[in-house]
Amino acid sequence: MSILRSTWRIIIFALQNISRNFWLSFMTLMIFVLMLITVNVVLMLNVLADGAVRSIEEKVEVTIYFEAEASEDLVKSAQGYLMAFPEVRDVRFLAAADALQNFKEQYAADEVIIASLEEVGGNPFGDSLIVSATSPDDFDFISEAIETPEFAPLIREKNFNNFEDIIDRIKLVGERLRLFGIILIGFFTLVTMLIIFNTIRVAIYVHRDEIGIMKLVGANDWFVRGPFLFEALFYSLFSTVAVVGLMAVILRPLDPWVARYFGDVDVHLADFFWSQGWQIFGLEFAILLMLSVLTTAFAMRKYLRV
Amino acid sequence: MISLQNVSKQYVPKEYALKGVSLSIDAGDFVSIVGQSGSGKTTLAKMLFAEEFPSKGRVVIGDWDISKIRQSEIPTLRRQIGVVFQDFKLLPRKTVYENIAFALQVAGEKKSRIEEIVPQVLRIVGLVGKKDRYPYQLSGGEQQRVSIARSLVHRPKILVADEPTGNLDIIHSHEIIELLKRINDFGTTVVLVTHDRDIVNSLKKRVITIAEGEIISDVKRGKYVLS
Repeated sequence: MSILRSTWRIIIFALQNISRNFWLSFMTLMIFVLMLITVNVVLMLNVLADGAVRSIEEKVEVTIYFEAEASEDLVKSAQGYLMAFPEVRDVRFLAAADALQNFKEQYAADEVIIASLEEVGGNPFGDSLIVSATSPDDFDFISEAIETPEFAPLIREKNFNNFEDIIDRIKLVGERLRLFGIILIGFFTLVTMLIIFNTIRVAIYVHRDEIGIMKLVGANDWFVRGPFLFEALFYSLFSTVAVVGLMAVILRPLDPWVARYFGDVDVHLADFFWSQGWQIFGLEFAILLMLSVLTTAFAMRKYLRV
Repeated sequence: MISLQNVSKQYVPKEYALKGVSLSIDAGDFVSIVGQSGSGKTTLAKMLFAEEFPSKGRVVIGDWDISKIRQSEIPTLRRQIGVVFQDFKLLPRKTVYENIAFALQVAGEKKSRIEEIVPQVLRIVGLVGKKDRYPYQLSGGEQQRVSIARSLVHRPKILVADEPTGNLDIIHSHEIIELLKRINDFGTTVVLVTHDRDIVNSLKKRVITIAEGEIISDVKRGKYVLS
């Protein structure tokens, strides 16, 4: 009972210290909030980068062109063969006549190309298959899979290689974005730790007489150190709550705008944050609390002689 | 009650703040310890509440041997000895009530008990109407009375007052001394450290005079003998 009573009093002292040193508390809180906002902006960038990569990946299709002598049955059998692989998301059959029609429509304005086509005579196009992969990494597999003795001799061309560079580049940008985010988080973590350390150091310096008085009237170690540790807890808690509120305000207009921007690709920032809000903000609170308590303990160990 | 046996204190080699001091103070005594600045009287007072420790000799307060006390025991000792300082040592961000209550809170006293004791000591020092003020809103004399009230909350058997009138004018000084005499009348041993000639002479109580770290006189109904 006495421990509970003492702990309750220490909590009250901590809250009194926060409210009675308003500006120092406010600035500390702002730094905590800034750090958490940075973490959440990096998370948002991550979601957006993933959305961008998925959006482009979904648009990436490769075409397998068959020789004109390849029968429609054989090409459709290749379609069925490819569809059986889990790595293949979709295979569309494009008949030679449709390919010719598409080509004519595409180059309708280019008289030279149209004239050349007429000179060749007939339909120079064979049937083709337009393949979408489950993941861009699967294109290599699909490219090799189609090279069976049955189909390989009748394949004129595969344009697989054209997209690899683009996808690799997108992935690289995404990875760099994540790396930059991690460096930014690391930087802010370091700055926050230094600020907490300095805040507690200043607090101990400013309150050194007060700490001495507490000891003189019989306060034990826990009564002197406890309020500082609880202040760290409250700063972490208040800043997390403030950031949850800020994120709600930011996400409300941003979410529909982002969803519209990405169109078919499902990118919902609000869903990302609120569907796992407890994990995201809980983890942020836990890490902030751990950092602030450790830094406070270190500052007390260095500067507070009790 | 209080016993110092051949106590010496050195801060630097070959220089003594206290040298071979022996004395004993009985329960209920009112003792003035006088001396010039730097004579060692404050060092002696600080030993009584374990703020300083002897380099040699023994300091015994009741059942506590200060020379051997453990760090973890000091808070408990300090809750049994009232201490009053020249600079009041009040917590600036706490009200009068909170300053006094704090000494009880750190001892784990129940809220109901705190609400009973604090008004009592506020009445003793005459500050009932100013319980919600902060220290900076009080005069020096009032701040010292808060400090005395705080020192009384544990009903200490010993009250150590280190230059309690040092920052006060004559009128407030006499008020504080009268308060200490009343506290002594209730049975509390009072150790008053001072270099105020008028106060010492008006008290007509035991006076221990210290010079250069040594006791040069100890008189039962003494006077201020230094020039």
